[in-house]
Amino acid sequence: MTITSLDRVLSALQGLKTSRPPFTLTLSLYGAGLTGCPLTEYYRNPERYLEGQDAVIGLVDPDILFAPFALTLEAEAFGSDLVFPPANPPNVKKPAFRHPEDFKHLAVPDVDQSPSLVYLRESVRLLSGKFKGVKPVCAVLTAPVDLPALLMGIDMWVETLLFHESLATDILEKTGRHFITMANTLLSEGADFIALPVMFTHPSLLYRKMIDETILPALHRTFAEIKGPIVFHHGGNPIGNHLKDYLELPQVGAFALDHRDSLEKARAMVGPGRLLLGNLNGPALGRMPLDSVLRKVDQVLTDRQDDPCFIFATSAADIPLDTPPETLVSIASRIRSWPGES
Amino acid sequence: MDSEHAKNHLLEFILSGDRNGANALLDEWTGQHSHRSTISDVLEPVLTEIGRRWVSESISLAAGYLAGKIAEDTLMKAHAHEESVPLTRGPVVLGNVEDDYHSLGRKLVGIFLRTSGWRIIDLGNDVPAETFVDEAVKHDARVIAVSAMMFTTARNILKIREEIDRRGLRDRIRLAVGGAVFKIRPELVEEVGGDGTTASALGAPELMDKLWRAADDHHIP
Repeated sequence: MTITSLDRVLSALQGLKTSRPPFTLTLSLYGAGLTGCPLTEYYRNPERYLEGQDAVIGLVDPDILFAPFALTLEAEAFGSDLVFPPANPPNVKKPAFRHPEDFKHLAVPDVDQSPSLVYLRESVRLLSGKFKGVKPVCAVLTAPVDLPALLMGIDMWVETLLFHESLATDILEKTGRHFITMANTLLSEGADFIALPVMFTHPSLLYRKMIDETILPALHRTFAEIKGPIVFHHGGNPIGNHLKDYLELPQVGAFALDHRDSLEKARAMVGPGRLLLGNLNGPALGRMPLDSVLRKVDQVLTDRQDDPCFIFATSAADIPLDTPPETLVSIASRIRSWPGES
Repeated sequence: MDSEHAKNHLLEFILSGDRNGANALLDEWTGQHSHRSTISDVLEPVLTEIGRRWVSESISLAAGYLAGKIAEDTLMKAHAHEESVPLTRGPVVLGNVEDDYHSLGRKLVGIFLRTSGWRIIDLGNDVPAETFVDEAVKHDARVIAVSAMMFTTARNILKIREEIDRRGLRDRIRLAVGGAVFKIRPELVEEVGGDGTTASALGAPELMDKLWRAADDHHIP
């Protein structure tokens, strides 16, 4: 009997070893390159997005598919202006507002009415409609503790957290409500789990006290209301030394690690049963010689060869458009041919 | 309290996130000495240490931001008592490049330059290339310092380079560039026509000194 991608991922979730680890590469953006779709269309038209992911399957056939990895679309729904660079996902050009007090008057966008949120929903629905039961679909959302930085700028969000604690809590309540609604909506549209890159939990950004007293409690409250598993993504910073902070967060079924993290140390820290994903540096793939890439793939696979709760994945942001497709095909082939026990 | 103790305590307040403690300490020092002494004998050396730790990534973004706010608080008090650091250097024209609204770095650069006695013409966010050059000419500034956070907006700095060159001001006005993207992609400094950059806002005074001197050699009074 053929083992499907879903079987493979479910086995990893249950700690059951299969012939090779499941794998995924962050190829949300890359689908646009494969189909020649302009990004202004790709991130607006769910059908074009689906075509892109069909092409990704044609190229490397990953075990997990990504819904659009375009966090700023949520910021757009709140009123931020976006810019569409020719080779990257949209970015915030102008935050929705500049004064944290304005947040009080801001309405949480309607998931049924906001065009950018409807796009995210519809993309998940189309992906799930086509691949449900065969390939898990991973929706990606903005962490409620990071969203304020997209809406008012990093400086204003840091200032609010530093000097206006009560306002920060109010803001987190609002972004938390949005996150709960959005995550549960995408899960009901067919997403199998929610990947959440999180930046504003990291000691390189915030004081320990802020993390312990404001940030983690806010995440705890919101995660408890999510009706599906969350993949806690490193958000661009190594999180291996801080995993203990996140272990007790509800619904977190997996950790996606930075390429600088040690998978071995992470495993020791989280214990045997928690799923780990990682940790090939996705954004750097196009700049690395193929033999170096494959050496790193081998290192990761060897490191985790006795770990059934592991999914091979790229770390950080999307794999860039100019990454040679041959590199991606070689990575997929190397993983598929990896020896293991059935 | 001697200056060594004051500096150590101020650093501890910043590292523990205690703005009130830091301001009380600086107020106490000012009461015993002067605003000018507070800035040059206590604040500036501590900011240098914060900058060193920032570059080595051993302090948080929030701590760096807090240091900037404390410096701003101190400068405002000194200014209110007409005892600020004399702004003898500059002016420097400062702003976020066209389409860029990420002002954190620019604000910190402005604060640290003022702490070091530089006069700043801060143009704010989303500044067109022509405005940068117009203001530099109007105020006789020999450095334009421009901030961009993202790759997409950093490329707009090239328009400022072209505008400076188009008006024949390449030798008289130097272009300092900075922002998160330049730390990730240092080759961008050259690609956008920058004459120099710094890894942190704390390095801005040193960079301005260097660029100002380079432009000064070619300045036509």
